[in-house]
Amino acid sequence: MKRFAIVLKYELKEYFTNKVFMGLTVVLALLGVAALFLPRFVDMSGFTGVQVTGGGSGEETESDSGEESLYLYVDQAGVLQEEALGGMFPGVLWQEAEDTDALRAAVEAQEAEAGFVITGATQYEYYVYNKAMTDSNTAVFDQAMKLFYRMSYSREKGWDLEEITAMYDVPITVTEQILNKDSGSNYWYCYVLVIIVFMLIVYYGQMIAVSVTNEKSNRAIEVLVTSTSPNSLLFGKVIAGAIGGVFQMGVILGAVLLSYQLNRDQWGGMLDMFLHIPGDVLLAFAFFGLGGYLFYAFLYGAMGALVSKTEDISKSVSGLMVVVMGVYFFSLFQLMNVDGTVIKVLSFLPISSYSTMFARVAMGSVAAWEIVVSFLILVLSIIGTGVLGAKLYRMGTLRYGNPIKIGTALKDMRKSD
Amino acid sequence: MMRLEVKGIRKSFGDREVLHGVDFHVESGKALGLLGRNGAGKTTTIRILMDVFHANSGEILLDGKKFLPSKHRIGYLPEERGLYPKRTVIDQMIYLACLRGMNPREARESAKKWLARLEVSEYETRKLETLSKGNQQKVQLAATLVSNPEIVILDEPFSGLDPVNSQILKDVVNELIAENRIVIFSSHQMSYVEEFCDEIAIINQGEVVLAGRLRDIKREYGKNRLMLAAENLSVEELAGKVEREWPNLVSLSGRKKEFLILELKEGADRRGVMAALAASDMEVERFGIYEPSLNDIFVVKVGEDE
Repeated sequence: MKRFAIVLKYELKEYFTNKVFMGLTVVLALLGVAALFLPRFVDMSGFTGVQVTGGGSGEETESDSGEESLYLYVDQAGVLQEEALGGMFPGVLWQEAEDTDALRAAVEAQEAEAGFVITGATQYEYYVYNKAMTDSNTAVFDQAMKLFYRMSYSREKGWDLEEITAMYDVPITVTEQILNKDSGSNYWYCYVLVIIVFMLIVYYGQMIAVSVTNEKSNRAIEVLVTSTSPNSLLFGKVIAGAIGGVFQMGVILGAVLLSYQLNRDQWGGMLDMFLHIPGDVLLAFAFFGLGGYLFYAFLYGAMGALVSKTEDISKSVSGLMVVVMGVYFFSLFQLMNVDGTVIKVLSFLPISSYSTMFARVAMGSVAAWEIVVSFLILVLSIIGTGVLGAKLYRMGTLRYGNPIKIGTALKDMRKSD
Repeated sequence: MMRLEVKGIRKSFGDREVLHGVDFHVESGKALGLLGRNGAGKTTTIRILMDVFHANSGEILLDGKKFLPSKHRIGYLPEERGLYPKRTVIDQMIYLACLRGMNPREARESAKKWLARLEVSEYETRKLETLSKGNQQKVQLAATLVSNPEIVILDEPFSGLDPVNSQILKDVVNELIAENRIVIFSSHQMSYVEEFCDEIAIINQGEVVLAGRLRDIKREYGKNRLMLAAENLSVEELAGKVEREWPNLVSLSGRKKEFLILELKEGADRRGVMAALAASDMEVERFGIYEPSLNDIFVVKVGEDE
């Protein structure tokens, strides 16, 4: 235990004195904080719908877009009502063109942003120079055309259009009483957290494997394994990697979540779906995410011991990557069906419980005993992979040359036992 | 006094047995030369001694009890040198000393002491990769000795050292022996082994083919052998003369650049040769009992077994 603590301390020093590691942590956290504090200092009302002056509380206003765009029209059917268009196209200045050719020339010369030629009560032509991917002018103008049609039809029939519209669009009031989970609002932060654990496993797992292989390639391993037990070395290295990873992710995620809480009003709650995460979900994420990360970290460490050169690591960890990727994609697909049988089974397997059980806690119905059993299985599996990883590490550390296949390694390990 | 005994060690990798019952022993205050060609099994033996590999059979005893490396301070300098290139010298020395049981304060003091003894104190805060190869080698030696080990295992300690640094290391090894530590010394440089080791064990193809006190081994290999050189005859002329005139006394066993090696024939003795010498016209430059060098013994012994 004492030797493990010495290895842990030494490996942690490697992380915390590494300028790139610390710099990246601080820079990413600051970027997150800066981005989330932005609405306090910059008018982002066009995006957030909330106009903020100074650090005061939010005040909802109409968007004030400043400069107006010029749109032209030619109304050959005599149905257009310019005042109705104003409400449907905010920030647009409408002007009637002499004829179609004049409208087309103005759009072509980019004097006008767009042009509409109404050729009948239910048909029109749309002119635009470059159509943007987000161009929704035709969709809005369709609505305008329908309105013009209804107005003209009602006028002909002597109907009161306002009365018909009020009857047709009668407002319905709903008060939701969600008794357990709201999957709709939990989905997106679940999605984000699954991605975060996946990144944590792949990125830091790879770092651990590289660190083990480096000790082989610079031959420090022979001095190390003759100075202490392989268990102390691997456990110290993996736990240090876990602490390093959790520290980095914790600082960045913590800074982002806290900044969002402080600026939630300024954002008008629009990022709630990603960043307003309930405490119990964060707790499940912390336990299962960290557990899954440790489970894979030991395996990455062992895989690192099976090769002698860092360029061979990708070969060694490829099998592990397939499992991690498979679990990742499956978890994301299953977020739509968190109470299905498959995800229930997966939530008890240590290879996948880190994301599936956590998703069930966030979005589905899960009994307390299921969480406890799943977590116990995960903890026992971590110990199992730790012991197995240390054996593979011991067996692989002093074998140089070609990468050792996992099957061969396990066979040799059984023989030596 | 401590006595380390390696008894009947056998080790297989897969279906191939690489050690076929290795035996040797070494006592504190003495150095054992562990010799063998590349791939003979020296490093595997050392790794078993260090508990990195497990032997399939056999035992290692310290003062008659099972030897547990984790209970003792051992300094091991592997043939393949390696420390952390990107960490400072002092940091990794303290780390290794702590791993071998020292507390941080002791570890720092000891690290400084050994860096000073090996004359590399000025580099203690430098990253290892910024040092020359020779200085890295000295740091590696300092790291081996930083825990003040009772047992020191040095695998090719002189490789990469210039004559000045070799002398520093020679002094250090002599001090270790004088301080009553067990020293196991593996090298291909026989002159160093002869200089330090009282005992040797030659391993060839996984078994000890020769072991014992170096002096006794040399005497045994020099038994009935004489060396002879004459001022008035070249080695070639002397060889011709000996073959012609003393066919019943000696036979030619070998020739060196400056003298002949003769082997007494059955029934002949040294007095007879001396009488023949006195009666001849040779101006004797050198005459005496031939003591073979360790290199000669090694080549003969390992060559025999090929």
